[in-house]
Amino acid sequence: MLLAPLYIKLIYMPKYFFLLSLFISTFGFAQNSAFKAGEKLTFAASYNMSGVLTELAQVNMETSEIKTSKATLLRLKCTAATYSKWDNFFKIRDLYESYVSPTTVKPYLYKRDIYEGGYSKFVQYKYSHSKGTVASVIKKKKKGGGTYDQNNTLSISSNTKDIVSTIYYLRTLDLNSYSPGKTVTMTVLFDNKPTEIVVKYVAKETINTNIGSKACHKLAISIKNSNILKGTNDNLLWLTADENKIPVFAKFKVAVGNGELKIKSATGLKN
Amino acid sequence: MRKLFIVLGIIASVLAIILSVLPVSNLAYFPAIAALLFGLIAFYLSNKNSQSVKTVQLVFLLTIIALSVSIYKSIFQTAEVGDTEELEIRQQESVDEAKEELENLDFDLDDADLDLNEEDIDLNEEDVDLGDFEDIDME
Repeated sequence: MLLAPLYIKLIYMPKYFFLLSLFISTFGFAQNSAFKAGEKLTFAASYNMSGVLTELAQVNMETSEIKTSKATLLRLKCTAATYSKWDNFFKIRDLYESYVSPTTVKPYLYKRDIYEGGYSKFVQYKYSHSKGTVASVIKKKKKGGGTYDQNNTLSISSNTKDIVSTIYYLRTLDLNSYSPGKTVTMTVLFDNKPTEIVVKYVAKETINTNIGSKACHKLAISIKNSNILKGTNDNLLWLTADENKIPVFAKFKVAVGNGELKIKSATGLKN
Repeated sequence: MRKLFIVLGIIASVLAIILSVLPVSNLAYFPAIAALLFGLIAFYLSNKNSQSVKTVQLVFLLTIIALSVSIYKSIFQTAEVGDTEELEIRQQESVDEAKEELENLDFDLDDADLDLNEEDIDLNEEDVDLGDFEDIDME
């Protein structure tokens, strides 16, 4: 964000080429060697109810290729659906999508279409990276029935992403070179607000999962200036310490309790 | 004292029955265990004073039903995703809409990170070249 003008300046100053290359190697252009089109990850989300973990929903993360006349993009799709026994009480059918560059995971289009226990919401972001803006569309309900579109143009920095592409972007980071305690800050656009997410590398850990015992990178996630996520080091994410960096386990703690996300199956992996 | 434990036992066992038939059947174990404890105490007190154990038996019966329903559910009921047909339709519609949106979107053409489809352009150029040659042959 703040570095963007500096970056532009550097491009036009050949004598700072060295600095530029340093800048690129430190911050930017992570190349995606972790996932490809056709990957499918399935998770079970559980919620902790007075000490008993109850399985609530199935979460799928899929990638596929989308071809347009101009470019080939990667479609990152996350869906969440409650298990049938919950459908009569609190039915969730969520769809989150992001259409990104296959190499740098730069988002071009984001869609969020959710249904959660009678509440539904539709949000769409169209990125224009050359202008540094996002055209946002939110479908809102009219009082008398039907919907209307609320259009907004938001300005973003060059590395602002949406929630889906951020999760996948985390997998492109070179975590092997990280030492415990290192933090990375990312800007995520959520509900039309840029939110800063801090990811801290905690340690390397071996954990047992449904897809075998895996050596993992343990990351702690927190949101700046927000108290949605509770506790320090209570919101954790484990990514496998191999080339694929699959998210295998996640723990979260919010005001109303805590829960887990466990992997059930992983297919179509790149490596 | 006996009455108190019988009342507590009935409350706990009824709660266990209610929880066991709900999706949160895992939680039924707690009131079921409590009901068993209250029942046992009430049973002991009844025997001591040689009073009727009919109501205590009711507590045990309710608790056993609640426990069997919960255990049955935890063993035989696998967590399955319900009807996602509507979600799948939404996903398909979403892709179709996204394709249109992406067609209209401005990609940074000098953006090296995008796999731009230049093959089509090349093919068209070849066609033009061939056409030109044919024309020359004709003449």
